Amino acid sequence: MERQSMPSTTQHAATRPADQVRHLLPKDIQQQIATHPCYSKQAHQYARMHLPVAPACNIQCHYCNRKYDCSNESRPGVVSRLMDSDGALKQFRSIKRRAPNLTVVGIAGPGDALANSQATFATLKKIRMEDPQAQLCISTNGLMLEHYASELAAAGVHHLTVTINCIDPAIGEQIYPWVYYDHKRLRGRAAAERLIQNQLAGLEAAAAAGMLVKVNTVLIPGINDHHIEQVSQEVRRRGALMHNIMPLISAAEHGTFFGIRGQRGPSASELEAARAISSQYMPQMTHCQQCRADAVGTLGGGCGQSEEPVVEHSYKVAVAGNGEALIQTHFGHAKRFEIYRFDKQQQQFIYLETRQVAQYCSGTHACPDDDSDKQLIIDAVADCQTVLCARMGIAPWRALEKLGVTPNVDFAFQPITEALASIAARIATPLTPGGNHEVCHY
Amino acid sequence: MKYAITDKCVGCYACQLVCPSQAVYADPDVNGRFHIHSRRCTGCEDHYDAPQCASICPIEEAIVNEMNLPVNPQGSLTGIISPGAAL
Repeated sequence: MERQSMPSTTQHAATRPADQVRHLLPKDIQQQIATHPCYSKQAHQYARMHLPVAPACNIQCHYCNRKYDCSNESRPGVVSRLMDSDGALKQFRSIKRRAPNLTVVGIAGPGDALANSQATFATLKKIRMEDPQAQLCISTNGLMLEHYASELAAAGVHHLTVTINCIDPAIGEQIYPWVYYDHKRLRGRAAAERLIQNQLAGLEAAAAAGMLVKVNTVLIPGINDHHIEQVSQEVRRRGALMHNIMPLISAAEHGTFFGIRGQRGPSASELEAARAISSQYMPQMTHCQQCRADAVGTLGGGCGQSEEPVVEHSYKVAVAGNGEALIQTHFGHAKRFEIYRFDKQQQQFIYLETRQVAQYCSGTHACPDDDSDKQLIIDAVADCQTVLCARMGIAPWRALEKLGVTPNVDFAFQPITEALASIAARIATPLTPGGNHEVCHY
Repeated sequence: MKYAITDKCVGCYACQLVCPSQAVYADPDVNGRFHIHSRRCTGCEDHYDAPQCASICPIEEAIVNEMNLPVNPQGSLTGIISPGAAL
């Protein structure tokens, strides 16, 4: 397509850092992705929300294990709680009320969005009716994409991600053991052929329908790492807008085929090399956090990633609760915290993310028990300046103060918005300048 | 009764979405468990070559036939066979 024609600066592209994609994208596209944190690294202050309404999947990938469901996990395909479309709408309302920076609503699983077409389309329609401004997006394995491309465009889906790991069935059969298509389970080469054919046709149909299509590729050393150039060329030819090459996640304890077989993930330099090759053909997305399918928040913090290389010099408030409008949860009973960050320009608190307490499990215990629970709760808010809750025991109070976190129960049973406004008024003096909120890179 | 769902089921809904007889239903008491209605299940014989639930189910040993034998035995879907592998 014409709008994706690339300036003839390929030799610059090879030397330029792979993440500086803006020069490669036409202005109108830049505007369209300017508030989408998954497409534009510059959009990091905007929050996205994944609605976990799509549990079923129609293919198997060797890097995925459908058995797992632990909130300590942070990777694609993992969720703690499924929702139906009504539940999704309710959740959207609850977050949107306090998060004006929530711009993107996506469906990313935990299965495949288009293997659950009824739930996916019902949810998309409800969200669109509720908030016509919300940018709808989905991610898919592409098996059913051609079939649904025009329906997706009609439903208002503007951003779409399709995961394409290879375009060669001989490679595909090492990644996909089976595919369910046209009422049959296909295996081996036939499965890979069908999937790849549908992915490429679907990508083309989606791009032709006007959607901004990003292609995700999981980089698997020894399997598709020598094949990145072919993938990149082909998906670009079919209308993909940008390429997101992601490292394989394959810890043995995840119970995936690759994990158990000891298939390693790529090193940082291997990943960089693959992105450099692809960047000859397409803009690269390098800030992907490989989120859970129920992630909520900004890309910088909302994915439960423990490694945050960039220290944030901003004032954050944690509010104990489960989405209620009032501060009514006892600190020790908190299962999650809503995190708000003070925005100096707006002089008010902006919703940043929701943290599940269980995410802060160090991984030394399989699951949090009663004893470690308390520490998990404290860890979940340790980087905040203030914690708002209804009540708090003296032991955690002291533990938090030691960490420089100020517990505050003055606003018990009052609306969160009022409490935040009150704190904002108190601290509305310039803080440490210029916190760099860039998200981490691999 | 042709097919049944075992307690290996992880509740991904896939079988429910593809069953031509609406025979799959969620357990009203146990969250994330599904069952096959024994009288509604036709084994897909009048519809398809293979039972649809067992053709999409991603979990080995989650669906059994009349003989109580898994339609998708261990290793048949994931390729993972080693005994210590099962989680």
